[in-house]
Amino acid sequence: MKNNVNKTDNGQTPYETARNCRHYAMCKIDFLGSGVCDSGLEKHFVSYYPQGRMILYEALVENKIPITEKCVEIADSCDLCGKCDYQCYFLNEMRPTKVMEALKNHVETFIKEGGKIKPPKEDRMLTEIKIIVGENWATNDEAITITYSHDLSSISDPKIPDYVVMPDTKEEISSLVKLFNKNNITYTIRGNGQNLLGFAINEGVIIDLNRMKTIEFDEKNWLVKVGPGVAAFDLQKQAQKRGFRINAAEPAALVCANIMCSGIMSTFSTTYGINADNIIDAEFVNKEGSIFSLNDISSPNLYSYKNLEHKNSPGICISASIKLHPVTDDESGILVPFQTLENALDFIKDCAIRHIGLALGIVGTEYISVFLSPTKKMASEIKSIFVDKLNIHWLVVVIGDKYAIRTIGEMGFPFFDQNLFNSLYLGLPSLKKAQWLDLVKELSDDEPYSYLKIKSFAELFETALSPSPALYSQEIDKELRPFFEKLFSRQEMTDLVWLNMYRIMSTRLGRKKPFLPALMYLPIDNILINELSDKFRLIAEKHQIDHDFGFITPIDNGKRCIFEYDFFYDYNDPDDIQRIRKVATEANMLIDDYSVKTGKVKGHPYVLYQGFCRKENLLYS
Amino acid sequence: MADKSKPTIALTGATGFLGSHLMSSMLLKGYTVIVLGRSTKEEPLYERISRLLRWFGIENRLNQVTCVDTDLSQDNLGIENEEYSRLCSVVGSFIHCASDTSFSESKRDKVMAANINNLKGILEFSRYARVNFFHYISTAYVAGLSENVCKENLPVTNSFTNVYEESKAGAENIIAQYCDKNSINLSIIRPSIVYGDSQNGRSLKFNALYFPIRSVQSIRDIYLNDLKNNGGKKALKNGIYIDKEGYLFLPLKIYLPKEGDLNIIPVDYFVNATIKIIENCFPGGIFHLTNNSPTRMTTLVKYYEQLMKVRGVEIIYGKSADNLSRNPSEELFDRFIEPYRPYLSDNRIFDRTNTDLVTGNLNPPEFTYEIFKKCMEYAIRVNWGASIFDN
Ligand SMILES: NC(=O)c1ccc[n+]([C@@H]2O[C@H](COP(=O)([O-])OP(=O)(O)OC[C@H]3O[C@@H](n4cnc5c(N)ncnc54)[C@H](OP(=O)(O)O)[C@@H]3O)[C@@H](O)[C@H]2O)c1
Ligand code: SF4
Repeated sequence: MKNNVNKTDNGQTPYETARNCRHYAMCKIDFLGSGVCDSGLEKHFVSYYPQGRMILYEALVENKIPITEKCVEIADSCDLCGKCDYQCYFLNEMRPTKVMEALKNHVETFIKEGGKIKPPKEDRMLTEIKIIVGENWATNDEAITITYSHDLSSISDPKIPDYVVMPDTKEEISSLVKLFNKNNITYTIRGNGQNLLGFAINEGVIIDLNRMKTIEFDEKNWLVKVGPGVAAFDLQKQAQKRGFRINAAEPAALVCANIMCSGIMSTFSTTYGINADNIIDAEFVNKEGSIFSLNDISSPNLYSYKNLEHKNSPGICISASIKLHPVTDDESGILVPFQTLENALDFIKDCAIRHIGLALGIVGTEYISVFLSPTKKMASEIKSIFVDKLNIHWLVVVIGDKYAIRTIGEMGFPFFDQNLFNSLYLGLPSLKKAQWLDLVKELSDDEPYSYLKIKSFAELFETALSPSPALYSQEIDKELRPFFEKLFSRQEMTDLVWLNMYRIMSTRLGRKKPFLPALMYLPIDNILINELSDKFRLIAEKHQIDHDFGFITPIDNGKRCIFEYDFFYDYNDPDDIQRIRKVATEANMLIDDYSVKTGKVKGHPYVLYQGFCRKENLLYS
Repeated sequence: MADKSKPTIALTGATGFLGSHLMSSMLLKGYTVIVLGRSTKEEPLYERISRLLRWFGIENRLNQVTCVDTDLSQDNLGIENEEYSRLCSVVGSFIHCASDTSFSESKRDKVMAANINNLKGILEFSRYARVNFFHYISTAYVAGLSENVCKENLPVTNSFTNVYEESKAGAENIIAQYCDKNSINLSIIRPSIVYGDSQNGRSLKFNALYFPIRSVQSIRDIYLNDLKNNGGKKALKNGIYIDKEGYLFLPLKIYLPKEGDLNIIPVDYFVNATIKIIENCFPGGIFHLTNNSPTRMTTLVKYYEQLMKVRGVEIIYGKSADNLSRNPSEELFDRFIEPYRPYLSDNRIFDRTNTDLVTGNLNPPEFTYEIFKKCMEYAIRVNWGASIFDN
């Protein structure tokens, strides 16, 4: 079958769009309030979500798999509603509906031309698995197994599992583990495939936990118990409804999977902590298929931490009781601009030591431009305005109550408050044309950002930029514009608190190219951070890989911080994949070197399967 | 081309507004100029000077210029020994025009380093070179806050409007003492506020006189856009509208502490007078390059209302803007002009006895609407300097 060559609006063929799916699983959560693909919600296998259909279409065009019964079902179950266009365009400027159309055409043409649909091939193992989980929840159909062959990076080679299973209870999981042990079958647990290191892909069996979505609040004990299929976004939403907040990872990451793989961290980790700080209890199915909980006296010591060594998994995490944090009604967000990283670091350190603010994070202008801009083109234009006209090179995001925000003002730091941020955000297109910015720049030559101290600057800024959802959406694809105009009229879409709680923008980072982060914990030490950044830059330059500073968030009263440095690559380019693998190896070696040399730097990859550890063990032992 | 009878001039500040104009005119008069300047990250000194000469349309005079990269804070001005000795042997006179011209207290250390600490190397160079004359480009405002009649004498006051004035006054005294001790002939040239060329409106710098006008232009454009493209809600809220004659009514009260004027001279006058002083002055002479017919702010307001098609700007004397309720445009405007406010209602009288004597009563022109228009139109054409070197 030939590749459908009808180009989509961004000039890509459906095949190219499919190949560029970032596999972020964002189409599995309703992050825009526009709904989630109905068939995905009904069938649960990733194959029935837009992401799965993208992988499936790519595989069909490349003749990797035949047309099977499930393939027909997957194609048929898409009603071309267009919801995924909104979601995918918001994040990646891509329109998957064209791919869905191409997939349907592909299958229809095949059938019309008398092609033979491959029937299911039952085997003994599949039958036994189905006895445990039920007829609908296990399969070896290639149209489904192929969609489990990727995670969101290309560091590891794709692997197609033999079976995919979706259990619903811990008892089912226990029985499955025992069955696989008895038959010597490898099994791998998968949440939403957000692991970057290939730990969610394998041959053998993939156990997809996405049906286990229970959320039980125990408000008197300030906790919520979540099943292993609950995504951070959905949990945060439920917590917010009840007036709480959780420390949440990337929105599409499943909470339990996230704890297992990396421990939960966010800009709120400044006050909410990391790893064990947010966990009250958790349940596991161990390697033998028995169930234990973290609080059992006899349970393995998951609070310990071993540096520079990869521990084995303690088992399958089947629930986690997470801390609920209180929320006050006077919280708001601000952006504090800086000319140098040193000054930004001094600022966050000072705030963290003095316990000012709930969430703190430093980002560079490249990232803030990407986060705020609806298109790649605008992101690159905006970046130069931030740097050249507004003299902003770094921004510190602070979420805090009114006392914290007032204190930062008293500390003498000018900032963009929520009002100014609204104007800046929805007025971005005017910023490009604003000549008066030259004057603002000169005005702040003597005292950087002193323009922000002008009482009515917010009003002038608003008048000058005429921010509005319509203005903001003017560069968006025409058909999608009405949707986006409505979307950006919603208060939360420009609310810094909401945006930091749900982190839906950070996924835009991969819009131009997918990225691989190097993450570490270290002291907030200007020299050390600059030294490491320089060395990451040199590694990237040596291998001709795009790279940039990611973010820094202080933790543990400013004694340490989380530092991310990112490397960008094209995962459809085999040479780039080779290069990024080398970069990843060298970057990790560099972090290891510093870990040994300084005794203060801890590489994040070792947190795999150690996500329940005490932060003290991780940071200081 | 080079006139061998004229002394070779060592010039600092040749990349700046006044220095470059002075350099250009001196080259045309046949002087040989040794530029003691700095390269930037983007551009070597030679390229900077070539670019400026192109702007003046006298690139062919480049052969009369020697560019020497210097660091005025270093021993030997950061010049290699051999080259330093060679320069000392050829330099006839020294014009020190480089200066940090920032008014900001937050830049005190930088201003003091450039305007005071750097003198040591410059003066030592002049001593080794046995220069005929050391000419120091100062400012009329070394007079500081205290005086009403400002004499062509060394400054005595200790109270100044800003760190810039303070540093320039300090520099005059240091230079005078050094020159006296080492028998170096000294002249001190004190311009007031310099704007563009009165003949053609061209300029290289758009501060002081230009800043209030540029501020009003920015504020006007913000509200015009609001009125024309966004229904004008914000404009109307602040009483801003377009009147029947197409003028923008922009209520803008400018509070000035007292009645007074802005003392401005055009750069062509600065250059002509300075060259006359350099060629005719007497040792120890101090020269005010000031305007005997300074400009009232009310006149300026009239000018820019006419040019910008704006109405509603009002000057109020005797009050400070600090505790008054200000509309957004006023607040922004206040902020923009804050560093210049003391110069907008000045009523000091500058004695010009020495200047008149050596320049043969050469006087700056009165600031007419025609000159104003030429200068502002040029400024707007080059986007207040942003596109000055385009093409
Ligand atoms: N413009 C006026 O209205 C006015 C009025 C009265 C008096 N003045 C006096 O006239 C002189 C020239 O003023 P301007 O308006 O032409 O100033 P400008 O345009 O700001 O130029 C300043 C010049 O000084 C140089 N400079 C500054 N800091 C320096 C340092 N640390 N080391 C070496 N060179 C340095 C600059 O070199 P770079 O280009 O390398 O930075 C530039 O060549 C000054 O002495 C000023 O006090 C000016
Ligand atoms: S267009 Fe198809 S794949 Fe996309 S959300 Fe709608 S039903 Fe799902």
